[in-house]
Amino acid sequence: MATTVAVAKQPKRGGRWSPWLFALPALLVYVGFLVYPAVSSLWFSLTNWDGLSATYKFVGLDNYFKLPHDPVVVTAVRNNLIWTVVTIAVPTIIGLLLAIALNGKVHGKPILRLIFYTPAVLPLVSIASIWGWLYNPQYGAINSFLRLIGLDGLAQPWLGQDSTALWAVMVPAIWLRTGFPMLLYLAALQGIPNELYEAATVDGATKWQQFWHVTMPSLRPAHYIVIALSLIDSFKVFDMIYAMTYGGPGTSTQVMGTWMYFNVFQYYQAGYGTAIAVVITLVAIAVGIPYVRSQTREAS
Amino acid sequence: MSTSFTRRGFLGLTSAAALGAGLSACTGGGTSTGGGATQAASNNLRLFTYEDDSTIGLLKAQVKKFDEQNGTTTTVDSLPGSGAAVYPDKLRTELLGGKGPDVWRIWGGQIGSPFAKAKQALDLSKYYDKYGWDSKLNTTAISGMTFDGVKSGVPFVQLGLGAWYNKSLFAKAGVSAPPTTYAELEALNDKLVAVGVTPCGLGGKYGWDIMRLFEYLLEHTSGPELHDKLLTGAESWDRPEVVEAFTLFKKWQDKKWLPQGALALDPSDVEPWYVQGKTAYTIAGQWTEAGAILAAKKSPAGFGNFELPTDKSPARHSGFVEGYMVNAKTGNADKAAALIDFIVQPAAQKAMNITASTVKGAEPDPKSLPLSAEWSQKYGKNGFYTIQDQAFPKKQADQYFSVQSDLLQGKVAPDAASKKMQEIISAWAKS
Repeated sequence: MATTVAVAKQPKRGGRWSPWLFALPALLVYVGFLVYPAVSSLWFSLTNWDGLSATYKFVGLDNYFKLPHDPVVVTAVRNNLIWTVVTIAVPTIIGLLLAIALNGKVHGKPILRLIFYTPAVLPLVSIASIWGWLYNPQYGAINSFLRLIGLDGLAQPWLGQDSTALWAVMVPAIWLRTGFPMLLYLAALQGIPNELYEAATVDGATKWQQFWHVTMPSLRPAHYIVIALSLIDSFKVFDMIYAMTYGGPGTSTQVMGTWMYFNVFQYYQAGYGTAIAVVITLVAIAVGIPYVRSQTREAS
Repeated sequence: MSTSFTRRGFLGLTSAAALGAGLSACTGGGTSTGGGATQAASNNLRLFTYEDDSTIGLLKAQVKKFDEQNGTTTTVDSLPGSGAAVYPDKLRTELLGGKGPDVWRIWGGQIGSPFAKAKQALDLSKYYDKYGWDSKLNTTAISGMTFDGVKSGVPFVQLGLGAWYNKSLFAKAGVSAPPTTYAELEALNDKLVAVGVTPCGLGGKYGWDIMRLFEYLLEHTSGPELHDKLLTGAESWDRPEVVEAFTLFKKWQDKKWLPQGALALDPSDVEPWYVQGKTAYTIAGQWTEAGAILAAKKSPAGFGNFELPTDKSPARHSGFVEGYMVNAKTGNADKAAALIDFIVQPAAQKAMNITASTVKGAEPDPKSLPLSAEWSQKYGKNGFYTIQDQAFPKKQADQYFSVQSDLLQGKVAPDAASKKMQEIISAWAKS
């Protein structure tokens, strides 16, 4: 005898609106603090607003047409590119090497981990001040050390000349940003099953081959996170440049973020500055989308 | 649900979030109303200033006195440190946010001007009449806070810049008296370098500090009349006098009369070096007596000041004014004006150790501020040329600092620097 089980359909409370009701508080915050200001900014980029007055005029795309003719924009774009490549590549590689070193049999592992990670938690302005003093041409520790070991010729006004200023600011940025990838890689390394290495050893793989064929493929998810976060960090660079060089000497260390700030907040050219912000955002999205696509493709 | 839909949706959301985060960072609230409606009247006032630790206590004590007499509660906020480079940004952000201070301190000229022109600062004409400020304050100083004919500020400081020096380092170089000609100043620099002392401590990080040297050199090569015309764009910068000033400017660096790598040094670090014995002198105003000498618990007797010799007549020095503005949106305009009037009373000015007051009867006390008093007596009546970061709008001033920077690094020659300056000034004049 066949038994049929009737399942009574439960009436849905709130019907199809329930998900929206739950999402509403977060949506309100999102719309109020992100969407509305973003649309406002987009609008202001089409105006000649000075950022202070109550009135402004619509100027269409004039602010965007001015960008390629602004020599500082050219400098800023070049600096952003250099900054992005260097401050992604160097901390990632150093972080990976440190993680591999700390994943082995090393004495005082927790202390070393703490030492390497500490810069990441220091207030950025303090770091900028400390490195500013270290770089002081006459009294700074770096030039003093160079003179002490007889390398007087290498002592430079590191932040005071166009040729070295941007690179000098990148050094503390690298110092600051190495701890984070190190921690992520360390956690990922500890998650790789030991059996993989044992099997590779049995198959006669050298340490170098194990690194490339076992370790690196296993770290792929960690690579994604590290590179994505580094990319975001690099694009939004502002604070370190502002605090250490104020965009100088002259405009030699200006990046798009600082140049946007100078225009909006110091030159009373909020319309033009906002156009720079729109361009930064579009570039960040253009660079970010291929990465997100590749990530989602991998995941599926 | 298909994978492609999920991916697309995810990408869309990610892009929207990134777009939103990027753009919202630019204007914050995105308001264009300039700070919204007039605030409600109350007994609470807020004063925003940039005093540092050496003077903020004195200001707060006077404000407290005012509160006790008037039944008000005044909060004093300060943002010391970076000078005119950062403070106006913070002020502007507060005003646009609708929570601006009732009263704020600000520099005159092109730094205070945008707040007046945008009508964020109240027209104080009726309070000038009410309190008789026209007769109590220095007339030149009032003109420094009058914009397009509107009295938008009340000046209480009129500062002149000169050389402040360390007597023991001058003695080390065998110099017993300050120079009286430009040639003597150069000779002094050479003597100081010969005994291992860096002569002039200036820092170029924000541009405005090292500018004080160039504007002096420009006064020396151009003279008062031409210098004033250059600052307003009435004469071309592409001329021999300007080329000579740029040539001398480079000479000062090449002969090590400035600290090594001066372009990147922070003025707040470098200015006190003459007190610490690291440089022989700096170019500063009377604030340095309280802010550097007395703050370091040093006796003023070990230091001196002199007007940089221009070899021109009349002798002038760089100068600027500072004063207070009132928020056009405040609901407490009467009380704010009363607070300013209290602060610009001679007794309050003296109690606050204002070393270059515009208030008649508030001259520096020779007992507590002997060097400031000496400066006022010797040079206070001399005319001054507008300090260049107040003569030009911020954008043009930064372009000008950029030219200085390129020149000192040897990227442009003096004649090219002059031509570049003319391009900057003529573009400004046309705008």
